[in-house]
Amino acid sequence: MIRNMFHYMNGTVKIKVSGTMPERFINLCIIKNIFLWGITKKNEGLFVCMSLSDFFRIRPIVRTSKNHIEVVNYYGFPFVIRKIKRRKMMVIGAILFLFVLNTLVSYIWFIDIVGVKSIPARQIRDLVYENGLRPGALKDDISIKSVENQIAATLPEVAWVGISFTGIHAVVEIVEKTISKPQDKASADIVATKDGIITEIIALAGQNLVKKGDTVKKGDLLIKGVGYEGAVVDSTISNLPPHRIRASGIIKARVWYESYGESELVTTIYERTGQQEIGVTLRVGQQEFQLKKVAVKPEKLVEVEVFNKKLSWWRNQDIVVESTISTYYELCAKNVEIGLEDAKEQSKAKAFTLLQSLIPETAHVLSRNIEVLQMPEENLVRVKVSVETVEDIGEVVNINKE
Amino acid sequence: MQYRKNRHLQRLAGILEIPQDIVLDLPRITMLGNKQLLLENHKGIIEYTPSMVRIKLEQGELIISGNDLMLSNLQVEQILVEGTVGEVKYDT
Repeated sequence: MIRNMFHYMNGTVKIKVSGTMPERFINLCIIKNIFLWGITKKNEGLFVCMSLSDFFRIRPIVRTSKNHIEVVNYYGFPFVIRKIKRRKMMVIGAILFLFVLNTLVSYIWFIDIVGVKSIPARQIRDLVYENGLRPGALKDDISIKSVENQIAATLPEVAWVGISFTGIHAVVEIVEKTISKPQDKASADIVATKDGIITEIIALAGQNLVKKGDTVKKGDLLIKGVGYEGAVVDSTISNLPPHRIRASGIIKARVWYESYGESELVTTIYERTGQQEIGVTLRVGQQEFQLKKVAVKPEKLVEVEVFNKKLSWWRNQDIVVESTISTYYELCAKNVEIGLEDAKEQSKAKAFTLLQSLIPETAHVLSRNIEVLQMPEENLVRVKVSVETVEDIGEVVNINKE
Repeated sequence: MQYRKNRHLQRLAGILEIPQDIVLDLPRITMLGNKQLLLENHKGIIEYTPSMVRIKLEQGELIISGNDLMLSNLQVEQILVEGTVGEVKYDT
């Protein structure tokens, strides 16, 4: 490895020695302390490798040994240098390329704004531009600290701002303050959103009108938003007029859902047979030309795919030119029979997907009941699914004060 | 006369525990399997072909025969023969 590198640095010449006594040439080289390697003999002659500096010393040896030499190959660093000297423009080009690359990389090209939620990115972009961080600005000229401080000072909604350069991108990272929403103070009642049986009712503010075990209907008043001034000794004998407050509380109720799904044992699906025909229509202004017509046989099932091609807008202003390519695929009907169990599964899945949109995610499912309905139709499987859940059915409804 | 001188030198080398190749000017041959053969202390090449290499020694010559022989390193003191060595023979 090290020897190979040494050979490369000094430059290596491979020569062909031809003559009556090539061995004599080798022996003379040894005596003159010329280092040889990779000596091989082929039919054409003897091939010898030597370093470039030794190559200039072998002329007298060749003469005395009465041999002929011929350079077959040469490689190494001195030859590379010589090549480069002959092609100066390539080196200049390479240096210029590195210089241009380095120059271009020292500018900002893109500004990315990350982490904004409520503040419009446009606003931050404008603010950043004003402070000198804009595409085309030199990286060294931008003082990150002052831009950050400017943003933080101008926008009170910003909790933290960080600017970092990654290559030619400037990343403006923004963390917004979480400002709690103002609470609705208007007086309100809690009303049932669904039919059900109350399992738990805790009024945190207001007066409950129903108790555990009661059956409620949708729209029934559950907690009334009334309160009494002062200490409540006995609300019934209090003669102070009740005033309206915002009711709040926890209401859990058992709710039942029902859904129904059906599935056919034999279904007909349509498949493309692979036969297709293409029709082309060209429209110029109001005129329509049928370039290729497709004769559609009425007894065959077909599926049509239509492609509309228009010229780009700037070429299509005076006269509208467009072409329509319709591909007609031939279809064949196929009856697919599925098993009774599969049909049941499909019906069940259909019924459950219907229910999924009705049951809120927070609901706690108590039981699922699946019932297969017996029907006179042979081809149909009908499934009824009923689900029992416990969920919060309260809804705060503001009371309109006239 | 030469023979007796050599015998004396050999005995001396044995007593003083000096390597005999230095005392008697003998070649030292190191072989790596049949792939490489390193010969130190030679006096030049007599003949070289891919199937046979004849190397001149202080006394006589060394004949190496084999296949695809190649002199991969050639210096004043040493010769490295690479290839498939079949036979090494002394000819005095």
